Amino acid sequence: MLELKHELKLSKTRDEKARMNFVSGLRAHVLNDMATGMRAVYEGSVEPGFRRSAGRAPKNGPEVHKAIKPNEYFKFYSSLRVTAQDMVWQSVFPPLERNRDALKSKAAALSKSKRRERGSLTLQPGFEVPRYVSAIDVHLMAGNYDGEYETDDLAAGALYDNGLAVFSFGLMGQNLDDIGQSIAGFIRLKYPNLQPKKILDLGCTIGHNTGSWKDQFPDAEVHGIDVAAPCLRYAHARAEAQGRAIHFAQMNAEALDFPDASFDVVFSSMFLHEIPKKGIANIMREAHRVLRPGGLMLHMELPPNSQLSAYDAFYLDWDSAYNNEPFYKPFRDLKPEELCRQAGFDPKKYVQFVIPSVGWYGEKVWSDAATQPREVDNDKTGRLTDGILWYCFGAWK
Amino acid sequence: MSAARKTKGKGKAKGKAKAKAKVVHAAETRARQPMRRTIRGGRPYFFADPAIDKLLNMLVVLGSEVWTLRERLAALEAIHIRQGGLAVGELDAHEFSAEDEARLAAERKEFIDSLFRILQEQVEEARRR
Repeated sequence: MLELKHELKLSKTRDEKARMNFVSGLRAHVLNDMATGMRAVYEGSVEPGFRRSAGRAPKNGPEVHKAIKPNEYFKFYSSLRVTAQDMVWQSVFPPLERNRDALKSKAAALSKSKRRERGSLTLQPGFEVPRYVSAIDVHLMAGNYDGEYETDDLAAGALYDNGLAVFSFGLMGQNLDDIGQSIAGFIRLKYPNLQPKKILDLGCTIGHNTGSWKDQFPDAEVHGIDVAAPCLRYAHARAEAQGRAIHFAQMNAEALDFPDASFDVVFSSMFLHEIPKKGIANIMREAHRVLRPGGLMLHMELPPNSQLSAYDAFYLDWDSAYNNEPFYKPFRDLKPEELCRQAGFDPKKYVQFVIPSVGWYGEKVWSDAATQPREVDNDKTGRLTDGILWYCFGAWK
Repeated sequence: MSAARKTKGKGKAKGKAKAKAKVVHAAETRARQPMRRTIRGGRPYFFADPAIDKLLNMLVVLGSEVWTLRERLAALEAIHIRQGGLAVGELDAHEFSAEDEARLAAERKEFIDSLFRILQEQVEEARRR
């Protein structure tokens, strides 16, 4: 299990650590070993069976899903994956519940720190959290991002940070910022002339990937927005603990409070797939509006179904069917280049990248990736597995 | 907003007995509550009988506790070695005395019997007929 490296880390007993280790190991087993096993079962028996009755191979993810559903290996894979997902959060609750006082006082002290360059936190009393956040427990996380259980609560942020450390079994980086570090590092190298003065991270939750932009572009003013107050409170304390000056604010990405043409980079990670189609369109339009001409919009996401094989589409769609991710498949059924065009971006200025994880491959991959474009269709793209590659798309304004 | 939603839910769950107290302390409705640990909307099941998914879940949780004990034991062994009470490899090389071995054998038999007691019930019922 990955230990958090900052001050807000929960104190845990020997047994609590062991339970987290077990869950991390279980997840690695399910998502590496069993995922490989399931593909072999599909290729060796499910797909040939489908061919025998239909006279052709399954043509998309839903057809693969339907064919594999009665298979016993699929059932064990899925049941164990749901169990492991639940155990991730359950392993965090006991130490978190015990640490709530300590967490609050540490956060309060951090927000009064006397560093020279400091970040900020702006919340809006009475802010309306959209129903696609307030009404569901995304990825089976009880309470979701916005659950509050006392005044000035930040426990949901701690649940997410500590849970992610168990969940990711090291594949999201030592600071859970592999996505941010890989992408911001890659962009800095690929576009040396891009010297952003202001950067915005949409749907930043606990700011774990927002900080990377500050690391890669230390002179830039970096902002992170989200709808969930407990995550933002935690994000602010976490950034201050790590010495990163970031400005966090409670805002809906569908209707930003920033003026037109005020940012050089608008980024998001693992964000759009949590939002219904109408909201995604609004967010893309807002990103276009707040970007300066010559600025870059970039969304790190799961790869679109149109660019994946039928089996890989099914594999990623699993979350939509079984992990409380109702908008995940509908988002991945959209065409990213179309989304950009509809938001007002010039189709000629569309970009997409498959960026190797810096934690897995080392920093050398940035220069390789910058010169050698990779294909999306790969069983490591966007998938939490050994040798992970991150997918992102966007456009220049 | 979400806090208000949860406070309301909690009020209902607590029932009418505390309604009076709730009114008095209305201004403190955001006092600390335990975090909710159940998933809204339930969880998916995959086997023909959801009991199989539930049993698998229990088995994995049990596996987690077995692992937790092993880590605790490893910690205990490491501490003993560090403090000089145990030599490296001593635990693995340990042979029980004949007396200890006999006692453990009886306890092991009891353990295995209790593990499979549920099957024994069927046998005994058949014998009664």
